[in-house]
Amino acid sequence: MTQDLDISVDFAGIRLANPVFTASGTCGYADELADFMDTSQLGGFITKSVTVQPRKGHATPRIVETNAGMLNAIGLANVGLDKFIEEKLPVLENMTPAVLVNVAGETIDEYVTVVERLAGEKAIAGFEINVSCPNVAKGGITFGKDPKLVAEVTSAAKRASGQKILMVKLSPCVTDISEIAHAAVEAGADALSLVNTFTAMVIDIETCKPVLANKTGGLSGPAIKPMAVYLINKVYDDVAKSRGVPILGMGGIRTASDAVEFIIAGASAVAIGTANFIEPDCAAKIIQGIHKYCARYDIPNIRELIGSLEV
Amino acid sequence: MSQKHSSSNKGVFDAVVSWNRRIGPEFYRLALEFSGAGAEAIAAFRPGQFVQIDLSTAALPPAEAIPQHLADGARREILLRRPFSFADVDVRGDKTHAEVLYCVVGPATLRMTTLSPGDAISVIGPLGNGFSVPAGKKVALLAAGGMGAPPLQYLAKVLTAEHPDVDVLAFAGAKTAENLPFERPLDAISQQLGFSLPEFARHGVKSQVATDDGSAGFHGLVTDCLAGWLGVGPGSARDSTVIYACGPEAMLARIAQIAKQSRIACQVSLERRMACGFGVCQSCAVECKVPDTNETAQKLCCQDGPVFDSREVLFKR
Repeated sequence: MTQDLDISVDFAGIRLANPVFTASGTCGYADELADFMDTSQLGGFITKSVTVQPRKGHATPRIVETNAGMLNAIGLANVGLDKFIEEKLPVLENMTPAVLVNVAGETIDEYVTVVERLAGEKAIAGFEINVSCPNVAKGGITFGKDPKLVAEVTSAAKRASGQKILMVKLSPCVTDISEIAHAAVEAGADALSLVNTFTAMVIDIETCKPVLANKTGGLSGPAIKPMAVYLINKVYDDVAKSRGVPILGMGGIRTASDAVEFIIAGASAVAIGTANFIEPDCAAKIIQGIHKYCARYDIPNIRELIGSLEV
Repeated sequence: MSQKHSSSNKGVFDAVVSWNRRIGPEFYRLALEFSGAGAEAIAAFRPGQFVQIDLSTAALPPAEAIPQHLADGARREILLRRPFSFADVDVRGDKTHAEVLYCVVGPATLRMTTLSPGDAISVIGPLGNGFSVPAGKKVALLAAGGMGAPPLQYLAKVLTAEHPDVDVLAFAGAKTAENLPFERPLDAISQQLGFSLPEFARHGVKSQVATDDGSAGFHGLVTDCLAGWLGVGPGSARDSTVIYACGPEAMLARIAQIAKQSRIACQVSLERRMACGFGVCQSCAVECKVPDTNETAQKLCCQDGPVFDSREVLFKR
């Protein structure tokens, strides 16, 4: 690696060693990927969703593979806030990357409760507010489709978050994602992450039933990548660039080339999701690959690449 | 090959295909060779554990070799790895050899049939918890339903090698004789002596076959075959008997019932759709009883299992 290359980024005031996160729901609560890679190499880490009460999640099947993708409907299964604090937080304290806690809830109060309880924790750099989970009856995407509700959740969580950064995770399943992004930024979001999964369905033609127990699930993986790139570029142009709000881009990233594409589209950092399931050390390979790309194209500072799309 | 960064022995390893042999109409055995860190990690593989194999780069067979019912599915690209339990593991020098017994059921296993000697494939493992031998057991009954046979084949080998004081007997069932995932049954003399299936006989383990249609062995379900044997077996030996079962969930539910009625310890190996295999995707939930309550909790097949105590599991109907 060329030493004088700088792939560190400033993300809403936090310094990241590199622009690569692992995405919520694909890397556990803390150090679960440590069997496969040195997680201290990561720029950032986003926990599995945390809700006030523990959630069992949906019945199985919870996943199904599709062409170049997969559907999941886990149902925000998680250990709940108390157990997260007791068991997972101590592990997070020893982690080098910036840690964001993904927060979900059925009511605004539930989001606020989780954020308030964790806002004083040193181990945590900030929060990712999940207003885009497609797989729960209440909360999640029901907030994320309505700009007024997004603004309410965001401003309430922002008040509770103290000095920590507050990032809002957007759903692609809306008529105008820029309108939602604008509402979040106006309400105080320090950063935006997009895209969450696309609501989708697979039918078993022998039984005429949906394959997933939840009927629908969220589509992720390489299949959604070009749509994610488009939406990130749109939000960058319409909202993020002018407001100076960084985007964490995600959606089907498997390789360094994919990551670079997202950065050119306007993402300040990227998150690896589904690819962690297949290649649990791929984030480390992507970091190396970004380095090589910058060396090959003589880009001394990766910040030059953010939003550098030429039209 | 990834470096290890924790105390566990799991990792991502490259394996080289030694051979890939058809053993029945739909069944194949694939032999893999691991070197270096992979050889060390897979040498520690216990019966009932599993690995995740990346088949996305394996080629499709020629169109005429694709069964009609898989023709449409074959056009789909493979994204996720597929879980397999090894049917055999053998350490020879600084290499570890492992065998996958598989059935062609979809686009990934269809691609698996084209793997040739010398091909490299990526394997994550060893994953999950395998079978264990509770203290004081003298009789081990292995119950395999259909494609549940592979981990029990390896278990037979390990039990006889590590626990010479334990008597091992295997029961293997399938819909028809053709659906039994074993090499051809042994000759009449061996069968009279109680050795039906070569994969068990080679470890000195007797076996009984059951088929739903009676085309081989006992005419009926393997669970009935096992229950019948228990009915005539020595009642006093129950405390020192353990059942190990792997197969379809309905079969495992019935085995659990038999074990409960007979007060016999029982371990079942479950199967769930899973994306990762190492606890992060949360897809492979298994509903389990919480001891001393009426509550249930979701455990993960990949991490808490795939082998569970049969008393703990709420089987899917």
